[in-house]
Amino acid sequence: MKAIRTSITVMLCLLSLLAPKITLAAAQADLDASIETLKSEVVQLNQELFELEEQLLYPATTEFAVFVSMEAVDDFAVASIKLTLDTEDITSYLYTAAQVEALRRGGIQKIFIGNLKPGLHKLSAQILGKDSDGRSLKRTVVADFGKARASKYLEIKISNNEKQNRPDFAIVEWK
Amino acid sequence: MRWFCVIAIAVSSFALAEDLLPEQHRSSGQDAVYGQLLFSLHSGDYQKSLGLNQILQKRQGKKSTSLLQIQQATAMLGLGMSQQAKKQYKKLLRSKTNKDLSNATRAQAWFYLAKHFYDKGMWKTALQAIHQINVKDINPRLKDEFHFIAATLELFQGKATLADKHILAISTQSMWSAYAFLNLAVSYTERDVHTSKVEAVFEKAKLLTKYTAHPESLVDKINLMAGQFFFATGRGRSAIKHLKEVSLEGSFTSKALLTYGWALTEQWQYHDALQPWYMLKTNHSPLNQDVQETLIAIPHLLEKLNAKVMALGAFDYASEQYDLIYTQLEASALRLNTGEFIEPLLAQQVPDKWGAFSAIDLSLPDHPDRIYLKDVMSKSYFQGELKNLRDLHVMRSQLKSGIEQLSAFDQLQNTRQDEYLKIKNDKRINLTSRKLLKLNKRYKSLQNKISKAFNNPNGVGLASEYEKSQLARFNELKSDFNRLDGHSHYLQRLRRVEGVLKWSLSQRYYERKKEVSKNLAILDGKIKKTQNQLKAAKLAFRFSPKSFRGFDKKVTRLRNKYKSQLTRLDVVYQKQREKVGGIVKLDIKERQKLVMDYQLQARLAAARLFDETSNKHRVAAGTEFRQ
Repeated sequence: MKAIRTSITVMLCLLSLLAPKITLAAAQADLDASIETLKSEVVQLNQELFELEEQLLYPATTEFAVFVSMEAVDDFAVASIKLTLDTEDITSYLYTAAQVEALRRGGIQKIFIGNLKPGLHKLSAQILGKDSDGRSLKRTVVADFGKARASKYLEIKISNNEKQNRPDFAIVEWK
Repeated sequence: MRWFCVIAIAVSSFALAEDLLPEQHRSSGQDAVYGQLLFSLHSGDYQKSLGLNQILQKRQGKKSTSLLQIQQATAMLGLGMSQQAKKQYKKLLRSKTNKDLSNATRAQAWFYLAKHFYDKGMWKTALQAIHQINVKDINPRLKDEFHFIAATLELFQGKATLADKHILAISTQSMWSAYAFLNLAVSYTERDVHTSKVEAVFEKAKLLTKYTAHPESLVDKINLMAGQFFFATGRGRSAIKHLKEVSLEGSFTSKALLTYGWALTEQWQYHDALQPWYMLKTNHSPLNQDVQETLIAIPHLLEKLNAKVMALGAFDYASEQYDLIYTQLEASALRLNTGEFIEPLLAQQVPDKWGAFSAIDLSLPDHPDRIYLKDVMSKSYFQGELKNLRDLHVMRSQLKSGIEQLSAFDQLQNTRQDEYLKIKNDKRINLTSRKLLKLNKRYKSLQNKISKAFNNPNGVGLASEYEKSQLARFNELKSDFNRLDGHSHYLQRLRRVEGVLKWSLSQRYYERKKEVSKNLAILDGKIKKTQNQLKAAKLAFRFSPKSFRGFDKKVTRLRNKYKSQLTRLDVVYQKQREKVGGIVKLDIKERQKLVMDYQLQARLAAARLFDETSNKHRVAAGTEFRQ
């Protein structure tokens, strides 16, 4: 009996010694977990805000967006794109190596979003890049399009022309 | 084991900004959201990617694909949410029945998971993940890195044979081979392998550094490690050979100089040993721990050279320096309590740059704790905790800017509502309609008048009553003209009078006609303008922007969410700050303790030497040393 009592006392002593460490470790794990939860929630909130911003600033009746995609083009790396709408330069974008790779791997970039009044318009995209031999390549593609009282999406499509073994550039309208 | 950590940190820097995902391509042509998700994920914008992923998963509901979940986990890893990512990854990858994932995808996912744990120092878990990979399935681009990580982890487990297999599988022209051989050399040092073999492996690693991104720095590191190893095993000459090759302007200079000095001391080359230590003392901050050791090492050496008075002066000088260092460390600790230590560092971080792969900007040009901070940052545990604090800081500013943005949205809504009400309450349509009606009436009556006045091309319509009667009289007189043959002079006079009257009438007619057509054109323009105004007003009324509607509640709800999130975040931020502060405080205490130990040794030695030297010599030598 005495032996049991002694062992219980020893156990309790050990537990009391270990307790602060366990509590501290648990508190730290808790803190890490709450940081992760916060991160997840903040990302969600920011996404909600982003959506609200797009809905509010670019209503469906006037919304106009331009996307960039590059499919199966291994021999060309886009360096920059400059967009001109009618006579006004609306945006220009410089690409990092990671972004070029992201486009190659099926990514679509929303390069421009804005409001546009109904009517006939002209979009011109000046594309600069380098081929696999390091030679600079500059192409300008132009598209005339009509804008009604609905969203309008255009896509600058860089694709591979297998027959001529060179990249093709086009502006495609999303239906 | 300490050396392994050093290598792990060095290698993890290559993983920065690299995407973590298995190669998967967009399947449908115009799936804009998924396309954007891929773009942001592969280009390292994990926050955006995670946000878009949440939208897609919500849209797909229970049908959400495994690939989407893996991408979510990947983005989570990128943002440093490793616990959540780990759960998701494991759940997905372990399910062998999952047909969405090809063997290559699965292998790559396991690889990146292993790499993440490896970077975080969770090496047992990393090894478990590595064991899930079939080498045949791994992307050739990642093969060398896979073998390197596998070799390092196997070495850590003490499985040298398995590690050797992996090391041999690495291409010699890959940068990973240099790191692998370095790790092998380190493991040899811990396994009592013959020094000639260790030396050979260190040399091989040095040869292979040419394929790495920063060969000079890596060569320095290898030389330092080799030097430290040979010095620790009592092979001073070999140590000196390696330490001599370390660059004098690199990040390993101070450690190399210190060990070089000790190695020379061990070889009884006391005079030569003083030179690197003086260099170290002169060129580096006293907050550097190597310099602190040098401060006490120099007088120790002087004493060995029997320059007792100089040694006494040097001990006194060291004692003063230790006082200063201790005070500086105390000031750092105080700044830690007041927030001056961490806050300036966090304030300069790039907004929106956060997550596990975004490095902390440590360039604090005028901050007193810069040197100390860089020193303490070499500890990977502290780095992780500081990154968490930085992430919280960035999130806090994001939330604050979100609240500001929502206030701007409020203003925008109000402006739009005002515009709408202005259009709706506008009396312009009525006024313009009335104005147009009047103008049209005026136009009609004017047209009538004009047609009446100008119908007669001889201008009779414009004649006055008197002129009209005269003209009538002329007509009456026409019959009488024939009878006036004899009175031709009378007839001529009458015709002259008629001619004058008609000429004056025609003159007036043309002028009036000109004026009237001008007025008519002006009136016509006014009518057209008013018609256009009316049309525009009607259109504006019909399509008046109602885009402010429906956003009220959304904005308010989101603002409330932001505010409550900010409150929660503030609490966590404070806790994390305390945690980081705790680590720094502990580190400062340890440094202070070490400084105190050095000081005690310096004082004891000084007291001993004081008894052994005369006052006259002391004054002269003390001045000389300080100079």
